Amino acid sequence: MDAQFVYQNLYDLFYMLVFPGLLFLIAFALFAEYVDRKLHARLQHRVGPPWFQPLADVIKLAAKEEMTPRLADRRMFLMAPLVALAATATAFLYIPTWKSDIRYHFEGDLILVLYMLTVPTVTFFLGGWYSRSVYSMIGAARAVMQLFAYEVPLFLCILGPALLANTWSISKMAAFYQVHPAFAALNILGLGVCLVALLGKLERVPFDIPEAETEIVAGSFTEYSGRLLAMLRLTIDLETIVGAALIAAVFLPFGLGLPAAAGFAVYLVKLLAVVCVLTVMRSIMARLRIDQMINLCWKVAAPLGVAQVLIDLVAKGYLPRGYLQ
Amino acid sequence: MSLVKRVVLWARQKSPWVLHFNTGACNACDIEIIAALTPRYDLERFGVQLKGTPRHADVLLCSGPVTHQIKDRLVRIYEQMAEPKFVVAIGTCACSGGVFQGCYNVESGIDQVLPVAAYIPGCPASPAAILDGVVKLLASLDPANAPKAEEAPKAEDPAVPA
Repeated sequence: MDAQFVYQNLYDLFYMLVFPGLLFLIAFALFAEYVDRKLHARLQHRVGPPWFQPLADVIKLAAKEEMTPRLADRRMFLMAPLVALAATATAFLYIPTWKSDIRYHFEGDLILVLYMLTVPTVTFFLGGWYSRSVYSMIGAARAVMQLFAYEVPLFLCILGPALLANTWSISKMAAFYQVHPAFAALNILGLGVCLVALLGKLERVPFDIPEAETEIVAGSFTEYSGRLLAMLRLTIDLETIVGAALIAAVFLPFGLGLPAAAGFAVYLVKLLAVVCVLTVMRSIMARLRIDQMINLCWKVAAPLGVAQVLIDLVAKGYLPRGYLQ
Repeated sequence: MSLVKRVVLWARQKSPWVLHFNTGACNACDIEIIAALTPRYDLERFGVQLKGTPRHADVLLCSGPVTHQIKDRLVRIYEQMAEPKFVVAIGTCACSGGVFQGCYNVESGIDQVLPVAAYIPGCPASPAAILDGVVKLLASLDPANAPKAEEAPKAEDPAVPA
C-alpha cells in the first residue's frame, strides 16, 4: 500500500465520519433542535430550554433501559431506527455544503438523496407496524398515507430546477445556479411548496398527524424506549438538517463561491433560516386532519409543483442557446 | 464516580420527561399539574417534557389515593416504564390517602403500591410546590446529596418531602 492510497482512505473516513459527515451533522442537528425549541418557546412568551437540552435528552435516552414489547417482531423493531439513521446520514454526504464541487457526487445523486430521505418514513412505518401496539399501528398507517401526499409535490418541485439546470446531480445544480443566480428566481414557487412538503416529511405541526400526541399517544414511536428512541429522535433532527441543506442547495444558491470561512458561515445561516421558517410555521398553526392534509397536498401543492415544472420548461425553451456554458 | 457515570447523571438531571397519571384524584391536583406545564411556569426551562406514553417517560406524576379500580392499571403503567424510573406522589391524597385514608375503596397513598421517590403534599399541591418537589427529586439523584441514615425521612411519615 502506498502512502497516497492510505491518505485517500483516511481522508474518506474523516470526510464521512467527522467533517462534514456524521459528527458535524449530529452536532449541527442538535444545535438546530435547540434553535427550534428556543424560538418556539420565545414565540409562546416562554424562556425555553438551555442550549444543551437536545444533547442531554439524547444522552439520557441512550443510558436508559431498552424494552421490546412481547408481541413485537424484535428484529424489525431493532432494525428500523438503525436503518433510518444510516439512510439520513448517508444522504447528507451527497448534498453540496458551501462549495459545489464536493467529494461525493455523480450524475443521478439527486434521485439517490430523495430516495434516502424516503427511507426514514418507510422505516418509521415498519417499526411502528411491528411494534404491534394499536397506537403505533395507527401512526404507522398515517405516516405512509402522508408520505403519498407530500412526496409528489416535493419531487415535482425539485424536478423543475433540475430540468432548468439540465442535470440530475445536486452539486451540478448548485454550480449552475451559482453561475446564473437570476434563474433561481424562477424557482420561488418551488421553494414554497418544498417547505410545506418538508413539514410533512419531518412530521411537524401542522402535519404531525402520524404522531399526534393528543390522539394516538406518540404514533409509530409509542413503544420505543431508551437507545432506540434516542436514535429515532436523532434521525428526525438529522432529517431536518438534510432537508434544509437540500433546499439551500437547490433553491438558495448564494455564497457558494466564497472562501472557506465566509462560505461556511453563509451555509450555516441558510440552513438555520430554513429551520426558523419551519419553526414559525409550527408555532402559528394547528394540526390538520389527515384528509385535509391529503387534500391540500394533492389539490394545491401538486398542481403548484406541476406549474413549477412548466415554468422551468418554458423558460428553458425561450432561453438563448448556449446558456448552459 | 467515573466520567461516563457523571455525564449520564448530568443528562438525567437535565432531562426529566414526565407522565401524568390520575390515580383517583378529585382533579384539583391534575389541574395544578397541567398549570405547572403551561407557559407561565415553563417547565421546559428544566428540560421537563410531558409525554403521552410510559415508554418515553422517566418520572410518573401520580395524583390521588389509588382506588382499588385503578391499582392494577397504575402498576401496569409503572411496569411499562424503562429504568431508571421515579414516582412522584402529588397532593395529600397521593402522599397518605388524605381525607380518604382508611376508606373502604382506596389504598391510602401511592407508596402502598409503588416505591415513591418524592412526596409533594398540598390540597391541591400548587405548581410552585410541584416544581420544588421535582427539583429536589433531581438533586437527590446525585449520590453526594443522598440523605444520611439518621436524617432520612421515616417510613411512617410519608408527608415528608424526600
